[in-house]
Formats: sequence, structure tokens, C-alpha cells
Amino acid sequence: MSIIAIKALVKDYDVNGIAVNAVRGIDMTIDKGEFTAIAGPSGSGKTTLLNIVGGLDYPTSGSVVVGDRDLSGMSSSELSDMRLNNIGFIFQAYNLIPVLSALENVEYILLLQGVSKKERQDRAREILIEVGLEKEISRLPKDMSGGQQQRVAVARAIVSEPEIILADEPTANLDQKTGANLLDLMHELNRKKNITFLFSTHDSMVMERAERLIQLSDGMIASDEKRR
Amino acid sequence: MMTFIKLGWRNIWRHRRRSLVVISSIGIGVFAMMFSAGFMNGMNMQMVENTISTSLGHIAVHSKGFQENMKLEFNFNADRNMLGKIDRTPRVKAWAPRVKMQAMVRSSESSRGVMIVGIDPGREKNVSKIYDYTRKEDGSHFITGRNTDEILISREMAEKLDLLVGDRLVVMLQDKHNEIIGTGLRVCGLYETPVNSYDRFVVFTGIEKLQSMNGMGANISEISVLLNDKKDVDAVKSSLVAGIDEGSLEILSWKDMAPGLVRSIRLFDTMMFIFFAIIFMTVVFSIANTLIMAIMERFHEIGVMKSIGTGPMRIFFMIIFEAFNLGLIGVVAGIVVGMALNFVLSYTGIDLSLYQESMRVWGTGSVIYPIIRFIDIVNAVIIVFFTTFIAALYPAVKAARIKPLEALHFI
Repeated sequence: MSIIAIKALVKDYDVNGIAVNAVRGIDMTIDKGEFTAIAGPSGSGKTTLLNIVGGLDYPTSGSVVVGDRDLSGMSSSELSDMRLNNIGFIFQAYNLIPVLSALENVEYILLLQGVSKKERQDRAREILIEVGLEKEISRLPKDMSGGQQQRVAVARAIVSEPEIILADEPTANLDQKTGANLLDLMHELNRKKNITFLFSTHDSMVMERAERLIQLSDGMIASDEKRR
Repeated sequence: MMTFIKLGWRNIWRHRRRSLVVISSIGIGVFAMMFSAGFMNGMNMQMVENTISTSLGHIAVHSKGFQENMKLEFNFNADRNMLGKIDRTPRVKAWAPRVKMQAMVRSSESSRGVMIVGIDPGREKNVSKIYDYTRKEDGSHFITGRNTDEILISREMAEKLDLLVGDRLVVMLQDKHNEIIGTGLRVCGLYETPVNSYDRFVVFTGIEKLQSMNGMGANISEISVLLNDKKDVDAVKSSLVAGIDEGSLEILSWKDMAPGLVRSIRLFDTMMFIFFAIIFMTVVFSIANTLIMAIMERFHEIGVMKSIGTGPMRIFFMIIFEAFNLGLIGVVAGIVVGMALNFVLSYTGIDLSLYQESMRVWGTGSVIYPIIRFIDIVNAVIIVFFTTFIAALYPAVKAARIKPLEALHFI
């Protein structure tokens, strides 16, 4: 059963009067529970594709359906609600809120969803323990390593149990060992919670570990390989 | 909402020095506001108190028409019944009868137009401060009786007329038959009030002396009433209107008798608001500038918050709370320092003896004792939060409108 369905997706940008075709007619579906990497060189359109799927950007033409919602007809506030309730984001640069502790950063999503204080604290604490950050619960991002911050970002992305997690080059700022640990963690969450993971990456380790690898080139799918 | 208040609070301490500069500018603004309000209140209060204590009293009973035109014919008979009712009116501290009329005083050197006031010296001491303002040395003393050949003039008038205590002058006035009569009186004493215009124009003699000069018998022009508390003026005025006015009298409060003074106070208050507005215009720009800088620095961070589902209203309120926090600390600091200084100065006073003559024109006295009213604090809080809100509005809207994708690409 597909959770993401993309049809004839085109995205053009106008950069200083020059038309840039970032995505040029992509068709693909992602099934629930997939652990998929989108790879390709810089400028191949992988981040643009991820942004459109995440409702952060609008396509020039074509359609993107996430779950049963067609993103092309949604307003910016509806997209904002969808991002809050259905999608978890993991960014390359961690992007935690610097004045909030690890626990508060994870709790933040639940707060936006209107979850009661006790429940959100319990759930955030539980997730942080699950990602191995029991001792870092009260620390501010500046007092944590890059790997720890990225784990908090993962915890923040999964705490509300979204259907999909979109990760834009999540291991790009991590050393190999930390990156591998993070991948193990995400893979485990994928298996245990049946959350769909969609990565953009040019990290060979991520490509190797992905269950499905979609290669993009010049805004089009160059290859689509399912390993399991 | 608490989390966004907390976020706002923590965010302002990310740039401690910058926030402290803004807080200081708000604090100094509030302090300036408290100080100037205290000073102006003190000045206004002293102006009113001096006017009440020298001439008006809190309430005056006149014959109808006297306030408009101080003609001799506007007199009335204050019988025992009326005076008894005044005595029994609650919250009345003292009262004194007066005869007031226009006259001319002439010395061998010069002459001047004056208002001559016939007083009952014993009662006048309880109602006005003329007794206190009278010099009690070098032979100068207060009027000693109701029917003595004494006249009390101001120090300034004595200088103009070239008179000393013990000298005689001639008072010329129109009696009830419209005859001009002249009477020689001896200067018994010199007074000096804080009100320049009063000193230039008013002289005193015994009430019965003046009544015999103008031929009005036992009738008087005015009963001046002093209350225990100025706040009760309107209530006591109403009781007196109900108790003693049979249609021929007018019972006026000090506000009715000195509309110019009331207008001056309103003018001062308006000037203060203009002053506050100027102060807080600068504060608006200081806060707005800081918040815009903060937003530009956190452009990426706000983009992340929006990308993970934070709605524009929440971003808007987060920025408003930041401004609110800055305003709160500033206003508390400004009020505490302002109140402390006002408290000290309310005992020591602000000595403006260097400008004594100017201060006498205003009738304030040369030492001003600042007064802070509760409403001044309320005004300061309202003005600061209103200003802060206005200042934060543009940055908050700007932050709420940040497009997450643009912000995510912004490092």
C-alpha cells in the first residue's frame, strides 16, 4: 500500500531570470514502512523532491499524494498541520531549538499537537531513553555532541509517531561511526514502529543500508533498486 | 502558551548585553517618566495647596454674583443659624468670615490698586496660612483685632510703596452709598506667601474695621471653609448647598473659584503626556531594532520551527512575549528606581531657590516635594506595554511570515 504517490512531478525555479529545472517529471510511489534513500549528486533534485513531499515547497506541475491527501490543493496552514501531525523531519544540521533542553525539544512537537504536559513529558523522556540519551535529557543542544544532537532530532521526529520521516542528508555532519549508529537507530525504529523513512543522501554508507535506493540525475529518476 | 513565554524569556538572554541595553533604555524612560510625573505632581499639588491656604479655602460661601463681580452689593448676612449649620457639617475643619472689596492704598511715595480683605484674626488663623506667612520680628505681627486701625501688607507691596512696619497708609474705597472714603491705617506687619500674584494685590485689615469703613454693617462677602481632607470637597459642597443655600447664595469649591488653576494643571498633565510620548518614541525604535536583529539572526531557526509545524500565530506570540519580557524587566527596574528617588526627594525636596522668583509666579514655593500617585505607576505600565507591543508588531509579523523553505536555506 503506497503512502506517497508522486505523478509527473515538475519543479522549475527562476534564479535571476534563468529557469532552472530542478525536477523534471518524476513518477514514483513509496509504500508504508519502506526505508528508502534518494541519492544523486548535488543539483540532482533530491532535496527539492523531499521538500515537496514534506509540503515545504509547491510543485510547478504534477501531483504528490501523502496518505490520502493531495498536497497540490492544500493551503500553507493545511500543509503546516500536515507537517506537524503526519511527517517527522530530520535535518542535516540537526536544527534543534537552542534555548530548549533535549527533553523540551522533543516535547515541543507534542506541545504543538496539544498533548497534556504530563503525557508529553513522559513520552519525550521515553523516546530519549530509547535513542540512548537518558543522561542528556536536561542538556541544552550546545552542551551535546553532533551525534547526540542528531539523536535528539530523531527523537523529535518520531515522538509524535508520524507516518513518514523525511531526512535530508542526516549523516552529512557526522563522523562515520556516529553516522552508522544513527542509521542503526533509524533502521530499528523503522522496523519496530513501521515508520516510513525517506532519506536524501550522497553518503555511500546510507545508500548501502537503504532497503530501496532511488538514484536521481538532472531531476529525473536514473535508477530505482529495491533490495528487500 | 507557557512554553512560548518561556521561549521568549530564554531568547532575550541569548544576547545578554544587547537585551540589557534595551532594558536599560526602557528603564531609563520609565525612570524619567516617574521622576517628571512626581515633580509635576508635587508642583501641581503645591500650587493648589498654596492657593487654597492663602486665599480660596476648600469651599467658599458667597452671595450670588460675587464670584463674577466682587461688588460691595453682593454681600449677605451670616446668621447664627447658618454658621451653626456649617459648624455641624461633617468633615469641616474650620471656617472664617471675610469682607472683600477693591480699594486703593496710598503712601507718601506711591499708590496701588488692591483687594482689601477684612478678617476675623482668630478664625483666619485656622483657615488660611496668612498668619504663618506673616513676619513676626522687627515689630511685624498679625492683625490683632476685628476692629483695629491695622493693615497687613506683603513685603513686596511695602517695598513698592516704600513703607515700613509702623508707617501709616491711606486706604481709599467706595462705600455702600458710592462715596469715596479714605481711612488712614497703620502697617502692623508684613507677609510673604509663595504666590506672587497674591502678594502684589491683597492686603488685610480687621473685619469690623472694613465693615465700618464701607458701611455694610454686619454683612460679609464670604465664608471660607477649610476641610480636613481636600478629597471631600464635592461631598461637603453638596451638603452645604442642601443645608444653607436658600437660593441667594453660591457655594463654590476651589475648582469653581480657580478655573485657571485647574486648566493649568490639565495643561501640565498634557505636557507630561507629550514628554512621555517623545521618550517612548525612542524606546519603540530601540525595541523594534533589537527584535528585528534577533529575528534576522534566528531566521533559520524560525524557519525550522515553522517547518516542523509551528503555526504563524505561535511565532507571532513568541516574538511578542520576547518584547513583553524586555518591557516587564525595564518597567519594574524603572519603577523601583523612580519610586526610590521620589521617596527620598519627597522628604528632602528639590531646592529650586535659584529660580525663586519664577517659582513664585507659579505659586509653588521654591522647594518642590515630588509625589507619585498610583495612577502614575499604572500609566507607566500601560504606556510601556503598549509601546512594547507597537514596537514588536512589525518584527512579530515579519517572523510569522517567514517562509520555512527560504529560512532553511538561510545560514
